[in-house]
Amino acid sequence: MAWIVKPSATQEIEKRKKPYVTDKMAKRFETQIIPRYEKKQGALMLILHEIQHEYGYIPHQAMIEVATLLDLHPGDVLDMCSFYEEFHTQPVGKYVIGVCQSIACEVCGHQAILDHIKNKLDIEPHETTDDGKFTLLAMECLGACEGAPCALVNDDRHDNLTIKQIDELIDNLPD
Amino acid sequence: MSLKEPVLCKRIPTQPWGNPKDRKIITYDQYVKTGGYEALDKALGMEPAQIVDLVKDSQLRGRGGAGFPCGLKWTFLPEPDGGRRYLCVNADEAEPGTFKDRLLIDYDPHLVLEGIAIACYACQLDTAYFFIRGEYRHQAQVVENAIQEAYEKGIFGDKGLMGGKSKFKVECYLHRSAGAYICGEETGLIEAIEGKRAWPRIKPPFPAVEGLFGRPTIVNNVETLAALGPIVEQGAEWFKKMGCESSIKGPPSFGPKLMGVSGHVNTPGVYECDLGIPLSTLVNEYAGGMRGGKKFKGAIAGGISMGILGPDQFDAEMDFDIGKKYNVMGLGTACPTIFDEDTDMVAVARNIARFFKNESCGQCTPCREGAQWIYKLLCRIERGDATSKDLDLLLEIAGSMGIMPGTTICGLADGNNWAVRTIVNKYREEFEARVRPSCVAVGMTVGTS
Repeated sequence: MAWIVKPSATQEIEKRKKPYVTDKMAKRFETQIIPRYEKKQGALMLILHEIQHEYGYIPHQAMIEVATLLDLHPGDVLDMCSFYEEFHTQPVGKYVIGVCQSIACEVCGHQAILDHIKNKLDIEPHETTDDGKFTLLAMECLGACEGAPCALVNDDRHDNLTIKQIDELIDNLPD
Repeated sequence: MSLKEPVLCKRIPTQPWGNPKDRKIITYDQYVKTGGYEALDKALGMEPAQIVDLVKDSQLRGRGGAGFPCGLKWTFLPEPDGGRRYLCVNADEAEPGTFKDRLLIDYDPHLVLEGIAIACYACQLDTAYFFIRGEYRHQAQVVENAIQEAYEKGIFGDKGLMGGKSKFKVECYLHRSAGAYICGEETGLIEAIEGKRAWPRIKPPFPAVEGLFGRPTIVNNVETLAALGPIVEQGAEWFKKMGCESSIKGPPSFGPKLMGVSGHVNTPGVYECDLGIPLSTLVNEYAGGMRGGKKFKGAIAGGISMGILGPDQFDAEMDFDIGKKYNVMGLGTACPTIFDEDTDMVAVARNIARFFKNESCGQCTPCREGAQWIYKLLCRIERGDATSKDLDLLLEIAGSMGIMPGTTICGLADGNNWAVRTIVNKYREEFEARVRPSCVAVGMTVGTS
């Protein structure tokens, strides 16, 4: 739950001509997601997931477009994006490696795994490599404590990690 | 005292009845072949009120952490007034150490969907939202597919439950969260579905009266819903044969329970046991004993917010009395994390404090600021920079935050409070060894008087 402090009054939003929420997407949201909820705002979380899935992060312009689609204030959408950890408002790497740092993983040796990845990729947690390939996250419990230490690499979870395994895993990810 | 046959894990191979390596996703066809949806069929032949009474008779207690009687929760609903009524399935299993619901979602999603259909029919709820945590990405896909299957086979949808056996229509949707522990709190979960920050609401009004979109809402845990099918099928008396009565004249703990053992044990995993099984039996007989033959030092009772069981509490019975009997907050999710003798309890406390600092939603000041201070103090103690005064300050801050001291809206701060206080109290000498003595001013007169 990061509290993002930025000079929001003077901050310029990058804009592009082509909308992020394309007509096709908007139509899909309107027919498939929005009717599931009594109020349009209910669809916000699922729509943000879709946008992040499409673009890898949620650009500010997309927030404004989603707000228009759902009859909300752009601030309401930013409110959601800044509260939930999984929503990225900045571009992230192609592969997001989330190492679990909660209790079961810590007592089973997550620190060695995390340190190894930090040294290997030369980044700190919540940073992205210069080539934009990897983002490292230190995450809270992934709900896989029987497989501690564990990590999420994009959508796949890897359990009972060793340094050798994590090396193989990272080396074998295509560019 | 162990279960004769698996109930919730009937179709999921689990020790000692099967090999976890043989687990695979149970599809609709396989589910029906093994007696699936028969309970729903039976339930639809009953009056909704009869099912509520049956669940009340079974004394099924919520499996999400608080242990609130499920049937009683349902009776708080007002009479249907023609408007919408909701069921929210709490699959936001974010408590560190907890991974029991994942087993059901991973392999037997239809068991949960059947429970959803039964609960919706019994309480006359027309829409169910399956609220799954963001980190369960693979599991979200499994549930999505299962819901799709259930729609195709007419369990949910326009025709009414079970292809029109009942005219009552239920819609079931998957709602994927995005990584916030506080969504596990029922009103936080409701806010999240409404498309807002998951800030817990002040109660009353309780969700059963005014919940999602201002309408009557029931929030139930995945495991609670999964238990409904077997209860409807085999009756309340059968359910009450499992589990145990309270030994301190409290409400009983009946039924089977999924228990996820993690930490320093040989075979961590989810096991289905009777409620009331001693922790030592769970560790030694189910989880293969302590890793490396080391000695037991402590265990988190069931998710970190419940506090810690000390070295002399290895035989604690895992039932809903555990809180009062062993000075922890409660059974929680019954997923103990076991620590061996080499574990640094100061580091454990620091890890837990970091979790609560990161996951505090920021709504109430005592929790938002207090969690930060507790974390900083514990870091200082771990580094060896603290004095004994800091230890007292730590306990004072911890004791001042939560619903019980009456300073916050939800129970997240109570979790922090209990976890930190029980660790410091049960392992005080370890903390004291890390701190320097404080200089205390004493009123002393120098010279002759």
